Amino acid sequence: MAKRDPIYGIMAEFDSAQALVDAAHKTHEAGYKKIDAYSPFPIDGLAEAIGFHHDEVPLVILIGGIIGGCTGYLMQWWMSAVDYPLNIGGKPPHSWPAFIVITFEMTILFAGISAVLGMLALNGLPMPYHPVFNVPRFSSASKDRFFLIVFSSDKKYDPVAVRNFLGAMNPRSVSEVPS
Amino acid sequence: MSAPAIKFDLTAPPVVKTIGQRSLIVGVVFGIIALVLAFTRPDEFYRGYLLGFMCWLGLALGSMAILMIRHLTGGGWGMVIRRILGAAMRTLPLLVVLFIPIVIAVLEHRIYPWLMPLDAIQDPHIREHLEKHGFIKDAYLNPSGFIIRAVLYFFIWNLSSFLLSHWSRQTDAAGAPDNTQKFKAVAGPGLILYGFTISFAAIDWVMSLDPSWISTIFGLIILIGEVLAAMCFAVVVERILFDYKPMSEMLKPDFVHDHGKWMLTFTMVWAYFSFSQWLIIWAGNLPNEISFYLKRIENGWGTIALTLALFGFCVPFAILLSRPFKRDIRKLVWLAIWIIVIRYLDLFWIIEPNFSKSLSITVADIVVPIAIGGFWLWFFFRNLAALPLLPAYDPSAIEVIEPPHHHGGT
Repeated sequence: MAKRDPIYGIMAEFDSAQALVDAAHKTHEAGYKKIDAYSPFPIDGLAEAIGFHHDEVPLVILIGGIIGGCTGYLMQWWMSAVDYPLNIGGKPPHSWPAFIVITFEMTILFAGISAVLGMLALNGLPMPYHPVFNVPRFSSASKDRFFLIVFSSDKKYDPVAVRNFLGAMNPRSVSEVPS
Repeated sequence: MSAPAIKFDLTAPPVVKTIGQRSLIVGVVFGIIALVLAFTRPDEFYRGYLLGFMCWLGLALGSMAILMIRHLTGGGWGMVIRRILGAAMRTLPLLVVLFIPIVIAVLEHRIYPWLMPLDAIQDPHIREHLEKHGFIKDAYLNPSGFIIRAVLYFFIWNLSSFLLSHWSRQTDAAGAPDNTQKFKAVAGPGLILYGFTISFAAIDWVMSLDPSWISTIFGLIILIGEVLAAMCFAVVVERILFDYKPMSEMLKPDFVHDHGKWMLTFTMVWAYFSFSQWLIIWAGNLPNEISFYLKRIENGWGTIALTLALFGFCVPFAILLSRPFKRDIRKLVWLAIWIIVIRYLDLFWIIEPNFSKSLSITVADIVVPIAIGGFWLWFFFRNLAALPLLPAYDPSAIEVIEPPHHHGGT
């Protein structure tokens, strides 16, 4: 097992959403790539500011939807045409128009479930332990404070340099985050 | 309330007037050909006229409906195209004038079978139906009823249009009153009234071409087609304006994204309504209902039905799933143009099989819609040039002038 760094990262606390976005931009531009930001509410442009572009949830939803659609159609085909064929209005047992509504509903159902589960899985949830909570002030991230962290796993990471860099952006506080 | 700081000129660029003039030339040239057709081949002319009228009426009414939705929901997406929708809506007085040839068709007892003496009706099925149920002709489908109802529809549409544009115009100057509540007061009932009036209008003007056939969702299919066409039209116009100020400053990818989402929504609703009608009729399998689809599938018409399903729904649906595509106005505009073509094809497929057993398109089906379109576009661009592209002193204008970059809750 690789030795775990005792320090998870260095975190700065800001007063406003604007300050956080600006700081995130500057930090990303300065070459720190492994960074993250925390805020009490969604902020437009913050994801782009920390260089987060690749969102895989839509792909999970698409795959879920396709699986759902196929399942829905095959289920009806098997029930109506294979397992228990009934003569309904003289139509052939395998009448695709009658299957479309359920196929559509199953597509939506599976896509919806995939969206929730995919989001949880890709976020690594549920997560009983996360180092950021080792900083006592972090609890206000769900109230009125905005946080930016540079992870110690970043290539450019240097405890003193990062501390000085974040400190220069006029934060309310800068703290070390123990792992 | 502090007035927003306007950093740029909001008047429409001169290109608007140029396009308007060119449209008028197209309208006049094609109008002359249409006029010749009106005298040489009157029946084909009136069929093409009804088709063209329904196409362009759809843009005006659909724009009015989207505008009303915006008044109820708010949002920057609606502010940035508000004056485009408004200009399209304010073509309704012109459409009253353009309705006159349809009144003439009714007075001359053309195209609508319920106007003709029974033995002059070609389709034996319709003839038999009208013979059995004469009260349909007496009670509802008669020339005076047709005209009185048309007057009522146009009155309601023009009144809503007048009120909305009158209050909108007030917000162009500093010290403007906040008309938000007035807009809402008209938009709510207006949308409901639009649903009713367009349903009745669709029955009177289109569905009554075959009085033996009924479908309760038909009005809604026409309605959603109009709203879809109008959204696509707004995207095309915003693309043209995007090359010039002020639209180049106003139109943000977020707004284009929303317009793309509307296109996807309306495309899906259109497919949903159209499929529902077909599924119910297919499942019921009753002779007087399936005649509608038999006429539209047999003898070549099926090609168009398949085109509508594949290229009106499947392909646009798949393309519109892409987020980058919806955010790029330069790409989205091509799909918008394509869907407008599909709207024409859909109406063609609904109207023309009433007259022709096998797939055929007449000169009038193309020339007359273009002629009407020339005049309509001229009037539209005239309206667009008449007002600034944004009602700058409306409280919602701030959403376009200073888009909220960093505020929460979205």
